[in-house]
Amino acid sequence: MAIETGKTSNDAEEDLEVSSGWFAFNENTSRALLLTGFLVLIIAYFASQDSSFLSADNGLNILVNASVIGIVSLGQVLTIISGGFDLSVSGTVPLGAVTFAILVNDGWGVLSAVAATMALGAVCGLANGLIVAKAHINPLIATLGTMSVTGGLALTVADGIQIPFDDPDKAVLAEQSLFGVNNHVWILIALSVALFCVLRFTVYGRYLYSVGGNREAARLAGIRVDAVTVSVYLFSASLATLAGAVLASQLLTGSGIAGTDSALQSIAAVILGGASLAGGIGGVPGTLIGVLILGTLANGMAILSVPSFYQTITTGLVLLLAVGVSQVRRFRVGR
Amino acid sequence: MTGPLLALDGLTKQYGRHRVLEGVGLTLEAGETAALLGENGAGKSTLAKLLAGAEKPDDGRIRIDGEEVSFSTPREALVRGIAFIPQELVYVPELTVAENVVLGRWPRRFSLTSQSLVRKQAAAEARKYGFHLPMDRRMASLSLAQQQTVEILKAVARRSRIIVLDEPTAALNSEDSQQLLDLMTGLVKDGAGVIYISHRLDEVFRACRTVHVLRNGHLVHSSPVGGTSPGQIIQHMLGRSTDEAAVPKRRVERSTKVLELCDWERMQAPRLRHVSLEVHEGEIVGLYGVRGAGAETIAETLGGLHADVRGETTVAGQALRALRHPVASRRAGIAYVPADRKSQGLVLTLPVVQSLSLLVMRALSRFGIVARNQEQATARQLASEVRLRARGLGQAVGELSGGNQQKVLVGSRLASKPKVLVLQEPTRGVDIGARLEIHRLLRKLADAGTGTLLVTSDIEEAVLLSDRLLILRDGEIVREIHQPTLNSQADALHAAGGLD
Repeated sequence: MAIETGKTSNDAEEDLEVSSGWFAFNENTSRALLLTGFLVLIIAYFASQDSSFLSADNGLNILVNASVIGIVSLGQVLTIISGGFDLSVSGTVPLGAVTFAILVNDGWGVLSAVAATMALGAVCGLANGLIVAKAHINPLIATLGTMSVTGGLALTVADGIQIPFDDPDKAVLAEQSLFGVNNHVWILIALSVALFCVLRFTVYGRYLYSVGGNREAARLAGIRVDAVTVSVYLFSASLATLAGAVLASQLLTGSGIAGTDSALQSIAAVILGGASLAGGIGGVPGTLIGVLILGTLANGMAILSVPSFYQTITTGLVLLLAVGVSQVRRFRVGR
Repeated sequence: MTGPLLALDGLTKQYGRHRVLEGVGLTLEAGETAALLGENGAGKSTLAKLLAGAEKPDDGRIRIDGEEVSFSTPREALVRGIAFIPQELVYVPELTVAENVVLGRWPRRFSLTSQSLVRKQAAAEARKYGFHLPMDRRMASLSLAQQQTVEILKAVARRSRIIVLDEPTAALNSEDSQQLLDLMTGLVKDGAGVIYISHRLDEVFRACRTVHVLRNGHLVHSSPVGGTSPGQIIQHMLGRSTDEAAVPKRRVERSTKVLELCDWERMQAPRLRHVSLEVHEGEIVGLYGVRGAGAETIAETLGGLHADVRGETTVAGQALRALRHPVASRRAGIAYVPADRKSQGLVLTLPVVQSLSLLVMRALSRFGIVARNQEQATARQLASEVRLRARGLGQAVGELSGGNQQKVLVGSRLASKPKVLVLQEPTRGVDIGARLEIHRLLRKLADAGTGTLLVTSDIEEAVLLSDRLLILRDGEIVREIHQPTLNSQADALHAAGGLD
């Protein structure tokens, strides 16, 4: 007793096409275009105000200043996609800076010091991940706690003072190399490409977006959601300590009070880049644009000699504006 | 100037270039229950939103008692006596029942309010309208049916005279549904008018006086319930003729057992007592019981959600250790389709292609890198198998209609070619067309050899689809019906301890 359902049988014959390849024009793409347009607008404005703004030197300057937050944001975007966030980077960045300075002063090679610093970060991240995933403590509370612990630890280890590099040659991370671009900028670029590929092309990436989009559904689909959650906090803290090492190399000193605004800056960049605090949405390109917008604003205002307090205010307003615009768009799309 | 309680005239609503309602007009008298039917996307929800003041019509008039009204906020609609109770209830879970009932109109004395005042007023209102509710319990701790009752009390206590209910019984079992329908009958006796949006024709024919059918934004049929039949209504909804909305059953020769439960026991509620059952290759075994009778628990346990059930489980001849985790159940070759597709089943933010292939991601990858061609081929094949209708495989699952979301959910479970398919509420809240398609799909899978355990609270679905129907009561299998038909419904309900 087959029933003729004309509409369905016709439609089902057509093959559903997937927008091909890694580039898909959808809401994410249009948001990225919007953000890029915004970035171009900012650049155009500053360029019209000061001719020195639009130079290769200043371009590099922006990248140099943005790369610490850039590296932190790459970790942050993972935690945000997973449906949480990581405030503790405000503690792990200085902890990384101080640890790295102590190790190189102790005669460690730069590479091994970086590895050890990141390993320490991994331990902090593991703690974060276990607290969030296994003890089911809200990421806000969990990472607020560990932010305080790691930040305090950084000050304790440094004994409350700054630790200047004994040997300025150990600041390899901040030195210029290929094409006169600083090593840490290359690190940021390499990490971005790697992470972009991980999120787009790997099983892990798929699992991460699923866990963030709907944790229970992911669990019932047989995904080890706790392992995924732990991993993102582990990555986030490792990258934060790496960023700390970069920061120390830039300043030629490890300081327990530098980089304490990392949480705010990185979360702002990631959200600016279109990620959702509800989880499941976000990506590397958006995050980088977010980082660049914040970096360009800071740089441009510095060139125009705007006092730094106003810069903070502007950063906040830009964040609210961007989130507001995407909210309005969502409202209109979502009816 | 007076007129009918509610009169709609030429209501039109357009989103972008898409016209979702066009010239809809109907009337509702005091004391009338009007059913509003239609497939998903026919415009029912939009019409409800216009009435509730959540959206403004582009054209047309709404009149209450002959007086033209226009709402720009839901609050204005409430003030004019229209209450809209959406399918997904809106309440404050951490407040008590009493606090929810008086929400937004706290009783005040010297501009202060108190627990006792709140409680007193809520209790008085409940008494007045004949509701029985546990006033001091937290809203979140109530059953769905009770929560719905609270929402209705909220509506009547605000002196709403027009109550719009959007699929109130979609997630209720038959006993609770009946209570809700009784409640509705009581309300209209007191002079209210009810607009009842539903997918369940049996309820419409039991409880409503008139029936209106929407299709593609047009009102295509309006008549008293007495003047029509379920078959005609379905025809109006689908816009095409249809035989009995059923898929043919097949008498299965008893072949290999693919699933065997032996002596399952569970101490905590919902309890299970000596539950033993088997599912053969190519067989659809239905499991029906009122809420708490244990049918859901059996499905959930097979999905790896309960570690506290004792007993033996054999899948395709292999004895399993306890299914402590969803991973274990998947490895054993069981595909579990959970009851609530939005909270448990799907990641709404993922595109269709990734949702369909999520469970077999590992198999579609090498060294952790997804083979995108294989992934797309898999997804395309599954999409055509479940007859998915979407703009493309890249579309986010959350943008699909309920029926198509459900097809994606079922499809994702088929990817791993399971030996046993365990389905919980496979057509909850989907329209009739999609329901039929899912039923046909399940039958086709069974014909291909899949053994299916179907747990559903929709008795019609249970008898239509099952080759064998097992009835659970208090955690025990009390009856087995071979080859059930529509006529077996009374028998099944009776055995389950619901109504007859």
